[in-house]
Amino acid sequence: MKSRFLKDRLATAVLWSCMGAVLVILGGILVFLVVQGAGALSWEFITQPPRDSMTKGGILTPLIGTIQLVLVAMAFAFPVGVLTAVYLNEYASTDRFTGLLRLAVRSLAGVPSVVFGLFGLSLFVIFLKFGSSLLSAGLTLGCLALPVIVGASEAALKAVPQDYRDASYAMGATRWQTIRKVVLPAAFPAILTGGILSIGRVAGETAPIIFTGAAFFTPDIARSLFSQVMALPYHVLILATAGTNIEETRGIQYGTILVLLLVVLGITLTGVIWRARLRMRSSR
Amino acid sequence: MSRMKFQISNLNLYYGPNQALKDVSIDLPESSVTAFIGPSGCGKSTFLRCLNRMNDFIPRCRVEGQVLLDGTDIYAPGTDVISLRRRVGMVFQKPNPFPTSIFDNVAYGPRLHGVTDRGTLEGIVRQSLEGAALWDEVRDKLNTPALSLSGGQQQRLCIARAIAVQPEVLLMDEPTSALDPMSTARIEELVRELKTKYTVIIVTHNMQQAARISDLTAFFLLGEMVEVGPTQEIFTSPSDRRTEDYITGRFG
Repeated sequence: MKSRFLKDRLATAVLWSCMGAVLVILGGILVFLVVQGAGALSWEFITQPPRDSMTKGGILTPLIGTIQLVLVAMAFAFPVGVLTAVYLNEYASTDRFTGLLRLAVRSLAGVPSVVFGLFGLSLFVIFLKFGSSLLSAGLTLGCLALPVIVGASEAALKAVPQDYRDASYAMGATRWQTIRKVVLPAAFPAILTGGILSIGRVAGETAPIIFTGAAFFTPDIARSLFSQVMALPYHVLILATAGTNIEETRGIQYGTILVLLLVVLGITLTGVIWRARLRMRSSR
Repeated sequence: MSRMKFQISNLNLYYGPNQALKDVSIDLPESSVTAFIGPSGCGKSTFLRCLNRMNDFIPRCRVEGQVLLDGTDIYAPGTDVISLRRRVGMVFQKPNPFPTSIFDNVAYGPRLHGVTDRGTLEGIVRQSLEGAALWDEVRDKLNTPALSLSGGQQQRLCIARAIAVQPEVLLMDEPTSALDPMSTARIEELVRELKTKYTVIIVTHNMQQAARISDLTAFFLLGEMVEVGPTQEIFTSPSDRRTEDYITGRFG
């Protein structure tokens, strides 16, 4: 009888300490970054391009570059990912082929990002002749985001009650009408969550863009899809490993990381607010 | 009795190897209320869903036999299922309004079929809500979310949504089983009004309900249609022993 309560207490203690460990790690990283990088932050830091071999000035070019990369990646991956999920969940029959397809998509999520980089290099840069460019790097990041978006969208579509579909069909709707007017709108908030999460994953990637379009340094922001771009994560890598004066640029380096985090946080927050407003409109 | 809307003969339905409906033959008269009663799993809902081919979506479901709607077999090859469902509307067990506004719920069907003019839509929405006895309660809040309505109101909204495409038949699958007694009473009253315009076919668990609102009652048991007749006869002098046992509460 007694051991039952002992086990309960033990379980509580273990669960608490695991959660605590996660919080400590997360908090530790944040505090460390703020302490190291906050000093570098200023209005000039985000509105000026790097100067003097990147030892001075701001990070405008990599900041804009990262935003451009994310936009290209999403413009490709969001529609393709959502429509793939629609196919898998609404159209495909439940046979072995579909199962295999699903497995393939899921496995894609586990592929190391450097492999995506090499894939992007051979497909976009070389085979499709896009060169080392914003377009190639953005599409490569899009490939990385695809499995996340497909997975989240499929789960979102699955969560739409069958009742809605029944009601729509019973009024003489076609399958596509039902999907476009009932299923997708109902699933959209959750699909959006998947999209936002994938942005978080994509914005911080370095390996896939090194081979496909990220530049060590560009004097100006990219004005064309076929220009090379600077990107925040790659900028950090360079400052930390290949800068001309690593000690001196440490502040810039942590400032850059902090900005990257803030960008991702900003995108996530926007998404969360948008989703909440969508939800509010549909119920109560 | 009036003209027959549906004439069903020798209908068999299989889910894979299991037979769910056995040789069902029944005629359903126009502009009247027919109730299907029977214990859970007897096939009454399955049969109802044969009438607008909602069983088409169930994998490995096979239908044999003839279902004539105004003399035309709805299972004949080349049947336009979309326009069939437009003629044979359906209200489900659980109120299932879309997570949009009251207006958009009712306007959904007409929009599907190509109505875009705002004035026309407003007219249809009003008529349908009046037809479902909901207009007076929602006239000032057509743009509020449908999910903010009570369960009974939601079900009447679903009825309004179904009649907005002007069907000829209204199939109702236990429409009050998720509702409280007051809401149930309102829906029953509504069903009695609806039969002047539509042929209503209602599945119900509740025998009193069948007795109160239907003109004709059919009793289903284990996939068979045991007996059909005028409601009063079925409840006072059923000809089959199994019907009598069921309505007197000996099982079910």
